[in-house]
Amino acid sequence: MGFLVFYLLINVLVVAFFMDKILIKTYPGEDILQTFNSFILYYFLMDLIMRFQLQELPTLSVRPYLHLPISKNQIVNYLSITSLATAFNLTPFLLVIPFLIKVLIPQYGVGAFWGFMACIFGFTLFNHFFSLWLKRKVNLNAFWMLGFFGLLLILWALEFYFKLISVSVISKNLFNAIISQPLFSAGAIGLASATFMINHSYLKINLYLEELQTSKTSVKSSTEIPYLDRFGTVGDLVANELKLILRNKRPRSVLIMCVMFMFYGLIFYNNPKYDGYGHIVFSGMFMTGIFIINYGQFMFSWQSAHFDGILSSRIRADDFFKSKFLLFDVLSTFCFLLTIPYVYFGWKVLIVHFVMCVWNLGVNTVLVLYFANQNYKRIDLSKGGSFNWEGVGASQWILSIPLMVTPFLIYLPLSYYNYPEIGLGAIAIIGLIFIFSREFWLRKLVSIFKTKRYAIAAGFRNQ
Amino acid sequence: MLAFLKLNVTQSQQDLEINKMIQIKDLQKIYNGVRVVNVNDLTISVGETVGLIGNNGAGKTTLFRMMLDLIRPDQGAILSKDKDVAKSDDWKSYTTSYLDEGFLIDYLTPEEYFYFTGSLFNLNKAHIDSELNNYTEFFNGEILNRGKYIRDLSKGNQSKVGIVASLLQNPELLMLDEPFANIDPSTQIRLKNMVKELSSKKRITTIISSHDLNHVTEVCERILLMEKGKIIKDIATNSNTLKELEEYFSILS
Repeated sequence: MGFLVFYLLINVLVVAFFMDKILIKTYPGEDILQTFNSFILYYFLMDLIMRFQLQELPTLSVRPYLHLPISKNQIVNYLSITSLATAFNLTPFLLVIPFLIKVLIPQYGVGAFWGFMACIFGFTLFNHFFSLWLKRKVNLNAFWMLGFFGLLLILWALEFYFKLISVSVISKNLFNAIISQPLFSAGAIGLASATFMINHSYLKINLYLEELQTSKTSVKSSTEIPYLDRFGTVGDLVANELKLILRNKRPRSVLIMCVMFMFYGLIFYNNPKYDGYGHIVFSGMFMTGIFIINYGQFMFSWQSAHFDGILSSRIRADDFFKSKFLLFDVLSTFCFLLTIPYVYFGWKVLIVHFVMCVWNLGVNTVLVLYFANQNYKRIDLSKGGSFNWEGVGASQWILSIPLMVTPFLIYLPLSYYNYPEIGLGAIAIIGLIFIFSREFWLRKLVSIFKTKRYAIAAGFRNQ
Repeated sequence: MLAFLKLNVTQSQQDLEINKMIQIKDLQKIYNGVRVVNVNDLTISVGETVGLIGNNGAGKTTLFRMMLDLIRPDQGAILSKDKDVAKSDDWKSYTTSYLDEGFLIDYLTPEEYFYFTGSLFNLNKAHIDSELNNYTEFFNGEILNRGKYIRDLSKGNQSKVGIVASLLQNPELLMLDEPFANIDPSTQIRLKNMVKELSSKKRITTIISSHDLNHVTEVCERILLMEKGKIIKDIATNSNTLKELEEYFSILS
């Protein structure tokens, strides 16, 4: 996640600091605090749905303690408390605190502020423990999920179809009440404590690993990817890596993230305010290169579990690197094909996407693989992907700088002097030069790999 | 006459050269100031079955890893057929190994893994399939067509997959780190028979480490005893070897 989480976090902070400005602009003439209040419950509803999709169940971490003389109460508390360390519990506060300090405190004072904080704290914890409890229930019986989404559907129908209730009015009234009497927030804390206790007692009764684990057993079959056969060993290696991506939790979630990124362009292209090429260069690079960026930043950590096997087997280092290039080529081309519908916003968009795809295949592949040679961190594939920091190190942060900046170093000066087309052309030509000189870069990468292989293997052996 | 003798001598010297599979010279590996491997001179000939024994921390796995060029020696070199394993990749074309689960691609099914490792040696699927028939007994119905990925197999079954994968590739040099651990008694016996056959019928050089003195003395014709990185005993196995080794280890502890 490294780079992506960093990017999302910055987005959250930007939204948080300009929340008052955004609310004034989108809802002119209304009291911003009232608009803000009416959104809070919606936020927590969305948060709950997101958590249900993405949040991890921390269960295996207790395995070493189950047979030791530690009381079940302590183990369950340990589980509950360690589970709290997720970005989901941080974002509400990051989002809200700057706004509250800017708007609420000057109007209603510090007392109301603490009332808000307590209430948001309560709702956050409620969502946290409720989603954990629900996920465990769903693991045992999928009907719980149907029930949950059915309930959401009924809520939606009552609000938007029958117009019987309004979450925004409830939200508004609730937080207005807290402004007038901050102690009402005790209710939210009470709610959180109740779900904590329910989750606690449920865990205590069901503290058996095989019941808590999420694995579902289904028959696994061998598969072949005939298209790749023609590439010999390189093709076999790509087939293996595709299986790696599809059959393991964490790389699979990277792939899902990539698919979601295909909608990234809608943010810019729908908005007439963005004109010119600059933003298309940016979103085009992300959309066609998301796989290279998001999956490539953790190379070769994905294979850390069997890296010794790779080194001691008959796989030649240049075949190994060629397979990485082929994988990037196939998937980035696929991403480019997926972005073709954006032609709706004009041919310009499609051409820039193509140019950025060439750039990604030429420059960013080499860049990512260069950094892969410096990456010694092991990754456990079976752990979920969202907000998992394992394998994140300096190399990911440093990588993101040249990745983001280089195309703009070429494009912006030229577009500043009113030659944006030449800027684009320069990006395309440099991309093509890199593609045609790939053999050269391959040899460079292989020779670096040969000197670094011991360090990489030693790092991957560190569990 | 003299000339003839001379010729004969050089001839036998050449034979000796070809007969060397592994040659270790002046090899050292140091971690945090401790010499974990310190082997001055060791030669393993073609077709030998060598057992590597020693307590935990004696340096067996580190030695294996250096022979497979997974760890860089601090000093000295390992020659495989006279070529330094760290400098040339030639050894990979005739050496196969299974040290631990780190050698398995655990998200593949066993079949996929056998096909993949076979393809590296240009063996096609049909060939692998027919070869796998020879291991039906060894697998005991727990490996093939079970609809499981390797990661879902038990540790013992995982090591069966690793061992068979390295045998399928028809190596000249085979290295197994503690192959007898984790597998059930019947499989242990089958594995012993397989290893004996390898050396007698195919002249494959085999290096096996084990904590079980019974197994190694039964299978291996030569035993290397390691202690604190050094090879302190190098004995040809005979009827007294087991007793000798048991004495050594009981005094040590």
